[in-house]
Amino acid sequence: MQAANILISSLKRFPWQLALRQWLTIDAPVLIYMAKVIIAALLALWIAMTLNMPDPRTAIFTVFIVMHPQSGLVFSKSYYRILGTIAGVGISLVITGMFSQDPVWFIAFFALWIGLTTAAGFKYRNFQFYGFVLAGYTLCIVSLPVIETPLDVFDIAVSRFSEVLIGIMCATLVSDIVFPRRLLDSLIASEQERFRNVLSTLSDPQSVFGTFDDTNPAVSRFSSGVVGLNAVRVNSSFESGSDRKERHYYGHLNHEYMNLSTTYHSLKSIIAAIKEGEKSEVICALERLYDPIASVLKTLPDTLLHPEDLDTVIRKLSEVKKTLEEHFEFDKERLREVMYVEWEDEFTSAGYLIGRLLHELHHHCATYLSLLNHRLSGNSSFELSRTVRFSTHTDNVLVALAALRGIGVLLVTMLFWILTAWPYATLTITMAVVIGLLLGTLPSPLDGVKDFFKGGVVALIIAAVYDFYLIPAYTSDLLTLGILLSPTLALIGWMTTRPKLAIFTFGFVFMFMTQCSLDPYYKIEPTKFLESSLAALIGIVFGGLAYVLVNFWSCSLTQQRVSKILRTQIVRLCNGVLNVERSALESTGRDLVQQFSTQGRLNMRSSRLVFEWLLSTLEIGRSILAIRRSLKRLYARYYPESIDIALESIKEYFEAPSSSGREQLLGTLQESLQVLRVTQMPSEKAQFKRVQSVIVELALIRTVLLNSQTFPVVTEDSCH
Amino acid sequence: MPLDITLFGIQMPTLLPIFVMSAVVQILLDRVMSDAGIYHYVWHPGLFRTAVFVCLFSIPCLLIYR
Repeated sequence: MQAANILISSLKRFPWQLALRQWLTIDAPVLIYMAKVIIAALLALWIAMTLNMPDPRTAIFTVFIVMHPQSGLVFSKSYYRILGTIAGVGISLVITGMFSQDPVWFIAFFALWIGLTTAAGFKYRNFQFYGFVLAGYTLCIVSLPVIETPLDVFDIAVSRFSEVLIGIMCATLVSDIVFPRRLLDSLIASEQERFRNVLSTLSDPQSVFGTFDDTNPAVSRFSSGVVGLNAVRVNSSFESGSDRKERHYYGHLNHEYMNLSTTYHSLKSIIAAIKEGEKSEVICALERLYDPIASVLKTLPDTLLHPEDLDTVIRKLSEVKKTLEEHFEFDKERLREVMYVEWEDEFTSAGYLIGRLLHELHHHCATYLSLLNHRLSGNSSFELSRTVRFSTHTDNVLVALAALRGIGVLLVTMLFWILTAWPYATLTITMAVVIGLLLGTLPSPLDGVKDFFKGGVVALIIAAVYDFYLIPAYTSDLLTLGILLSPTLALIGWMTTRPKLAIFTFGFVFMFMTQCSLDPYYKIEPTKFLESSLAALIGIVFGGLAYVLVNFWSCSLTQQRVSKILRTQIVRLCNGVLNVERSALESTGRDLVQQFSTQGRLNMRSSRLVFEWLLSTLEIGRSILAIRRSLKRLYARYYPESIDIALESIKEYFEAPSSSGREQLLGTLQESLQVLRVTQMPSEKAQFKRVQSVIVELALIRTVLLNSQTFPVVTEDSCH
Repeated sequence: MPLDITLFGIQMPTLLPIFVMSAVVQILLDRVMSDAGIYHYVWHPGLFRTAVFVCLFSIPCLLIYR
């Protein structure tokens, strides 16, 4: 014990203490990861060669495909790789068994399978996408090489599956045992940062009432990371010691954050509109309303959050909640005396949003507190009542486009194969299909293909050095082969830690592993090497061409699609089922926008526009649901006819938007609001609340519609 | 127990179904142990998990090869 203390104190006096700490946090993990990659890859190679597998390179290749610094990602990707391989190998047996003698049917079913897997893959997120796509191209890998000798398909299927399994087991074993890094830990860190970000943004009234400005990172960050953090949460479920309850908390926090962020941005845009109308009295009243919230949040320390501090804040927030409504009514009366222009809708909406923000903040803090308690002591007083699901939405046009691209690439390369009758053209097909399917989700697939090509060419040069010089000259057994391979394996490991080199590395690994002589016995010939390299490079070019040709996706088309999808969503909420949860609305919308902003080539300005549309849709959609729910429980004698007309005209407007329709809708909404405000309010408390909520929600819809200049009627083209 | 068995007309080593079965048992056991919070008291959860799997897989294997 004493020795340890002496060591620590001498370390503190160590002149390069800071440098050492930095080295430990930044460089050491990379070195450890490189060592892990080498161990896993050589282990896979050793097992595959000892078991006399026909193609040990598949095992070592699998290690590189699934290896990630965090073990959660390794498990998750391995799981889907196994499922994808099983499906792909199974279908290969079926298709080769049935149609290997009939080219037309063989190609037709081949294309159908590729189309199906691509379409299904695009409907899913994260590594599920990878699993489906892998199932598609495994068919190429298994059935094309044996098309002349179909009876061999069973052997190649079994060996492919075993090799993949060996690779996966080595990768998962090493990443979970040797210095494991847990995904859940990074999730905790990002959640902490996000929570602190929320509190610091909301504690400053200027970030709510100030003008919108892109330079304030806190404001623009207050919406990001929802989809990404959800992916991390899903992937962490495979880790050892992963706590289901804790992941449950993260799911809730993510949804609450989405709600908070929507409320915050809506409030901000309404306040901006009020400011534009130069109604300073209204702004002052709103600031008075918001001040107590900001002053409560300011009491929190900037450093690490303790449960006790958070507990105090939560108690204070509930006190503010109690008085907020009185303040609101008081200010409303006072404004009535001084204002002569139209203000009531805006003030009601903004006041309601402040109330909602407070409510959601209170809830968010409570969930976070119980997560802290759960982590510290393993128990929490707060029980989560239900599970929240992260729903996704994929545009069918995107899916169809991807499937079309996959089938097109396959058919064109098949044609190339038939016309040239080149035995190595099967490699071209495989490569083109892999490129055509896997890189489809990148923001800019064509640049990805270029990187892949560069990686491939570099790998070919290194593989040639290995094949024709190093391996024949210096290897005599597995040990020497392993020693010779280690530097390249380490290089690949280092490259995978650089996000900029991701696709380059992928191309490098793919080419190196297919061309390097990692067979049980040495059998490389220069002609075979050159021909197969050429075939693979031609395949990459074919895959790249697919992205050039099947690419009529542009910024303005994306805007039209998004606008249409969002409009349909509102129409569906007007007459569809009532049991749609807000969390489903929010997550679907965010997933959709995320997908379109990576795939739909939006520039910065149009991305912001699309986000504004999403906010309007979420607000209007949520309000429509709230109105319909209130109406359902309202007694017939308080049921105003005008609301039905208003809802109906909202629906009509979003079915076929036009500028004249907008004016008409705004008029209808105002009329029904006036009718509601002058009619006698019910005396019964529950009924009174329902009528009041209908008024507030209608006012909110009207304010949102008044503010959104570009949705749903797209008036300006922000793409240029 | 025989070293090879025939499932659905396919002859395979008995190790394969044993492996699949022990993987299923391991997944269930892992879920139970993580819910019970046993991993909080273990020094190296990954190593522990692997060791449990090795036990689950090797006990029936030893019975076959005895």
